[in-house]
Parts: sequence; C-alpha cells; structure tokens
Amino acid sequence: MNNTLINVGVAQVKISSSPTILRTILGSCVGICIYDRMKKIGGLAHILLPNDQAAGTNPEKYAETAIPLLVNQLLKNGAKKEFMSAKIAGGASMFKFDSNIALGQIGERNIEETKAILTRLGIPLLEEDVGGHTGRVIDFFLEDGRLKVKASGNEKYYYKV
Amino acid sequence: MQINIKQRLDAIINNIDQLPSIPEVASKIINMVNDPSVSFKQVAELISKDQAMTANILKLSNSAYFSKGKEISSIDRALVTLGLKEVKNIVMVVAAKPVLDKAIIGYDLEKGVLWNHGLLVANIANAIALLKKRKDVADVVFTGGIIHNVGKVVVALYIKTVYKEILDYVQSKGVPFSIAEKEVMGYNHQEIGEKILVKWQFPPVLQSIVRFYAQPDQAPAQFRFEVSTVHIANLLALMAGIGVGSDGLYHEFNRVALETVGLTEAEINEIYSKIPEMMKQLKELQ
Repeated sequence: MNNTLINVGVAQVKISSSPTILRTILGSCVGICIYDRMKKIGGLAHILLPNDQAAGTNPEKYAETAIPLLVNQLLKNGAKKEFMSAKIAGGASMFKFDSNIALGQIGERNIEETKAILTRLGIPLLEEDVGGHTGRVIDFFLEDGRLKVKASGNEKYYYKV
Repeated sequence: MQINIKQRLDAIINNIDQLPSIPEVASKIINMVNDPSVSFKQVAELISKDQAMTANILKLSNSAYFSKGKEISSIDRALVTLGLKEVKNIVMVVAAKPVLDKAIIGYDLEKGVLWNHGLLVANIANAIALLKKRKDVADVVFTGGIIHNVGKVVVALYIKTVYKEILDYVQSKGVPFSIAEKEVMGYNHQEIGEKILVKWQFPPVLQSIVRFYAQPDQAPAQFRFEVSTVHIANLLALMAGIGVGSDGLYHEFNRVALETVGLTEAEINEIYSKIPEMMKQLKELQ
C-alpha cells in the first residue's frame, strides 16, 4: 500500500481521488466526509463552528459554509450529487464544564448544524461517529469511501457509501 | 494502584539524570529576565557561547511570527529590536523543541502533535494575557504554554500499559483523566512535569503552571492568573483538535479559571474562532 496521505487541518476543506487517504484529528470539531461512489472521488471538511456570527473571512471554518463549498468542489471535479453520500465524526464535548460556559456545547451544535446542512443539500448521511468525550483521528479512504475512526485506543471502520 | 509503576516513577524523579534535560542557557536566561541588574550585554554573551542556539534564535527572530520587520543578524540586534522577554520566548521555543517534538506513545500523539499543541497553547495564552491588559505576564504564559505538559514525555510509556484502567476509573468515578492518572500510577503527568521544571531551575510561577494547569483553583493565589490562562488556552486547543490524544476531552473546564482571568463568553468565543488563523501563524515555528 503506497497511498498518499493528506492531512486536513482545522478549518480546511480538501478533496482528492482514489486511492488517497484524507486524515484529520477532531475534538469538538466535526469532520464531514463526502464520497462519490461512482467517480471514486471525495473530500473532507474539518469545521470548527456551526455558523459565522461575525461575517468573517474563512468559509472553511463553519459547517454552514464549508459543506456547500466541499460539495461544489466535488461537483466541479466531475462528481454527481446522486452518487454522493456523507459520513461524519467528531463533535466531542468537554467531560466536565460549568453550565455557564456555552462553548462546552459547541460539539453538539456542530453536529446539529452539520446534519441540517446535509439535509438541506440532499446528501444522505449514512454513518456517524459523534459526541462523547474522546478525541478522534479519522482516515477517509478514497479508494472505496470507507472511514476509519481511532478513539480512546480503539479503531472502528464504517463502510457504507 | 499499580505499585510497580509508582515505584518506577519514584525512581525516575529521585534520579534527575533520568528526567529530560534542557540547554543550560535556557535555565539561565529564564531567571535573568526578572533580574533588573542584568544587562543586554550579559544576555548576549551568554547566548553567544552556544553557536547552535544562536543560529536558531536568529532564524526565529526573522520569522514572520517574531519579526518586527527589520532584518536581525545578531543577538545584540535581537535584544534591542525584540526586547529581552521576546528573546527569552525564542530561546524557550528553541530549547524545548527537542524535548517535546516527538511521538508520545501512551497518549497516542504522533510526532509533532504535542509540540504544535504547546505552541498553540502558548499563543492563545499570550493572546488572553494581552486582551486582559496583563502584558506583564504575557511572556510567562507563553513559556508556560509551551511546556505545560512536559510531564507527558516521561509518563507516556507507563500510560500505555494502564490506559484502559485509567479510562475505566474516569468513567466509573466521573473524574478527569489526570486525577485518574494519579489514582492508577501514583503520579500524574503534572506532578512529574513539576519535577522536571525543578531540575531545569525554572521559576516558581512556571512550576505552578505545569503543576496546576488542570486544576487552577488549587494553584497558589499569586500565580492563579497565569495558571488559569494556560488552563483555558489548553482546553480551547484540545477542543479544536490540536493535541488531543488518548485522554481525549476527559478534562474539566474550571469556572474559577474564567473568573480569575475575567473572560467574557464573547471573548472566549472570539479567541476560539481565531485558532485556525493562529495555526497558520505558528507554521514557521513547527
């Protein structure tokens, strides 16, 4: 196996094609993996926050803007919406936090907004590995769209595409 | 408790040769910063004795992160242009990198992750101090941010063998990971980190940051602002996925820290949302 590994940083959207592997590390952020099973291309958006409160400059940071951006990039590269599906991971929350700290719920809000945007775009969400208090290292294999999630020393695979 | 692990950690902290080392110039300069009788000339002479250190400091002095725009070609110029505290921060980046820029097995951190995490925590902590008009401690929390979890370097090997036991303890007792570390191994990485800083002869405020960054309410009152700043910076970095390992987000966001620092919710959200931009700025230091 000599597949290229691309690291996707926080607030980045990256796309590639089989057999590339897209990797990212998630805390409260959500990683959105979208795959076109016919064309075997896909992409990963690593979002930090649900939406842009301050009308900032970086669309790749927010679920609201990063997911449409990812879908458009895939469409431009020949993917078709009818063959696209999504898997998501991340959205963990701090184990203990004071209820006054709204940022403690940012993981859940990221998950909610991500699901809402996928629904609005009509992209089926097939698998999710979200919530809890674990960090996650995820590998998105573009040869067949499978997703590996490593959390708390365990590895899990999600195969649906 | 795993008595055998506690005994091995006892042996390590009782034989300081087994703890990580740092170049002597770093220990010296960190104690010179607060000594008003120290001159730039003395600092420049000290640094210049270490050629490798000097070259690295000049390189970082001209990086986008530290540069003030003017080309810096000597330690004297660096001191005049950037100031003693900023040069001290650069020395810390250069000196701590070999200790922290490695794979940390038991915490499942690949090479580079712990280092990048430290740089980000340093940067966030520095930003919080400046926002709260505490420029006087901005350089201290920067240094504290870089080295706050240096103890992980030593305990990682043991975490690997008892990870499941620690996680079970976290989940059954509902306590943060570092409390479970101590319960299972007799020590947590903060206590070991404090011993490392004693070996390095770092000042008490930095020892407190390393020892109490996870429990700022227990820090000595005179250092609580600095400790709390690093506490908040660490958790924000982990939430953003920078440096999150097998201990995940099994930590506590301490209310005392927010009260001590006096951060509003809007301010904390603003800082959190800037993390991607900070990561870009830090690229040159990685």
